[in-house]
Amino acid sequence: MKQTSIGKAFPAVVLATALGTVLAGGPAVAAEPDKDKCFGVALKGKNDCAAGPGTTCAGTSKVDYQGNAWRLVPKGTCEKTASPTSPTGFGRLAAFKEKKA
Amino acid sequence: MNHSTRDATLLPPRAGIGLKGQHVRDLLASAGLPAFVEVHAENYMGAGGPSHRALDAVRERVPLSVHGVGLSIGASEGIDALHLGRLARLLERFEPAAFSEHLAWSTHRGTFLNDLLPIPYDAASLHRVCAHIDRVQSVLKRRMLLENPSTYVEFAGSTMGEADFIAEVISRTGCGLLLDVNNAFVSCVNHGRDPVAYVESLPLHAVGEIHLAGFAEDRDSAGDRLLIDSHGSPVTHAVWSLYRHALSLTGPIATLIEWDNDVPDFARLMDEARTADEVAEACCVPARQAA
Amino acid sequence: MLRPRKAGGMNPGTRQAECHDALAGFAVALLDAARPVPHDLRTWNGSDARQRFAVYRNNVVVSLVDALDAAFPVTAQLVGEEFFRAMAREFVAGHPPASPMLFEYGADFADFIEGFAPAAAVPYLGDVARVEYALTQSTHAADAPVIDPAGFRALLAEPERLASLRFRLHPALGVVRCRYAAASIWAAHHGAGHLEAIDWTAAEDVLVTRPHMEAALRILPPGGAEFMLALGRRLPLAEALDIALSNAPGFDPQSGFGVLVNAGAVTEVIVEETTA
Repeated sequence: MKQTSIGKAFPAVVLATALGTVLAGGPAVAAEPDKDKCFGVALKGKNDCAAGPGTTCAGTSKVDYQGNAWRLVPKGTCEKTASPTSPTGFGRLAAFKEKKA
Repeated sequence: MNHSTRDATLLPPRAGIGLKGQHVRDLLASAGLPAFVEVHAENYMGAGGPSHRALDAVRERVPLSVHGVGLSIGASEGIDALHLGRLARLLERFEPAAFSEHLAWSTHRGTFLNDLLPIPYDAASLHRVCAHIDRVQSVLKRRMLLENPSTYVEFAGSTMGEADFIAEVISRTGCGLLLDVNNAFVSCVNHGRDPVAYVESLPLHAVGEIHLAGFAEDRDSAGDRLLIDSHGSPVTHAVWSLYRHALSLTGPIATLIEWDNDVPDFARLMDEARTADEVAEACCVPARQAA
Repeated sequence: MLRPRKAGGMNPGTRQAECHDALAGFAVALLDAARPVPHDLRTWNGSDARQRFAVYRNNVVVSLVDALDAAFPVTAQLVGEEFFRAMAREFVAGHPPASPMLFEYGADFADFIEGFAPAAAVPYLGDVARVEYALTQSTHAADAPVIDPAGFRALLAEPERLASLRFRLHPALGVVRCRYAAASIWAAHHGAGHLEAIDWTAAEDVLVTRPHMEAALRILPPGGAEFMLALGRRLPLAEALDIALSNAPGFDPQSGFGVLVNAGAVTEVIVEETTA
């Protein structure tokens, strides 16, 4: 019973054509230019930190800054992202919060 | 059990460096190589990937030392069997010339604290540490080197000196000593002791490796020096002197330059290693004459 | 050798129990600066043990915050170092690592961020952290062969079997379903695209794989996440395609194959021996 619905959408010939097109380097990616982006190869060498953190057997001379996280405001590259509710369109993330509230 | 433990290490008696991911390419392309490299065990306990591949390539060129920071040998609870198993697989995989861990604890009730914490030097600790090292050596089927710690406080309940404690552990378990000269200096300054006397009272016959590093300096509330084992700067003059003295008693020993914070470039690390080699060459007392 | 303990406010007990307590008290006071430092510490010169104990507290907190900083670099750039470190500090205090393998640390950092009120102004921050965590896990995942284009080409010899194929996905593969445009934001921090141009409100399904020993991201087309997750459950290709299609009517088998072939996603093709 179940078999009748499974695999109906794409007959073997469609699957073979799709795979063949991909293998021929066809427009697999181009077909969905904004939805199948790959980041990695183009970024080679920029990804070294992906190994993540390591252990330490040393102490630190850096002093823990005990700032009150609850009073801080994010101040980084997020200020460059567009805000749909901002008059300028940029950097007013607080406005988003207001909209949600 | 109190036999020679020099075979706890197969490292050459020259200077090596701590391997940092950012130096792998430089090292593989370099004509001049360190005598060995050391890595932290825990950073290679993933299932695979580029860090394993890099270590494979490096160990084809230079001998490898694996240095654990997570076994928590001084902990009041038992050795984590899961972690010990991971360590055993790692050592099987990379067959290092030496394996070392710390006289310290870093895990407590399932929480990893990422620092090497002090233990009281008393009979209970001695019993526990020896039992843990026995277990480690029997599971890993090799002798380990135990590193003397850098400490900032002492326990009121300690009944033994640190050097006596270490000597007793080494005598009971047959493990070797990783003499961290910087730790020795840091701890002695922090606790008002004479670093030379401390080093001389260690079981120097068991030294299989030496660590050198830089420290940072602070003051305690009494205005005395409080040194932080920060591994973030060159080896200091005082530590070079203590190293020279230690080598005059032990002969040349595999010596690691540890530089883990504000890591310099590969060439600078190699310079520091070269200095260690020069100090060793200038020490003419043959090996194995330590008392 | 065993001296009676000096009066210090601790209940009398066996030496073993006291030692256990010494380390337990030490551990608890390390992560909670509001706790008093252990009472059984001594200093050679009578200096304040609290100040010296603070060195350990500082080492623990700073090293773990540093670990998060290293593992979540884009998350940190988005909110700035000061904010990130303060936020990470809160996380460290409540969620210290359970394992000495620090590359595993922060599995619940994204969830924490999403519940951290001061970060609410950056709604996509948690998703970006989720993507970064997935990249680190992919980096450390097991090695396995990848079915290359030639391997897929061989499958074309028997097109009637394609529908029933099952795939063992690569151990370094992960699917991250984001409510916001986390992969685009991540990529913009790595020289691909501009932050200003990103509609961060657009949801993204992200595929993480490790072609050529380097973890990489790919934004999946609609239905792609369902497709990959279905294959991950070892459903046959036709069934996975159906699932994708029912979630995204425009889903195209070519996109599905594109991911399987080009992303290094498959480590083994399982061919059914008995097909009609």
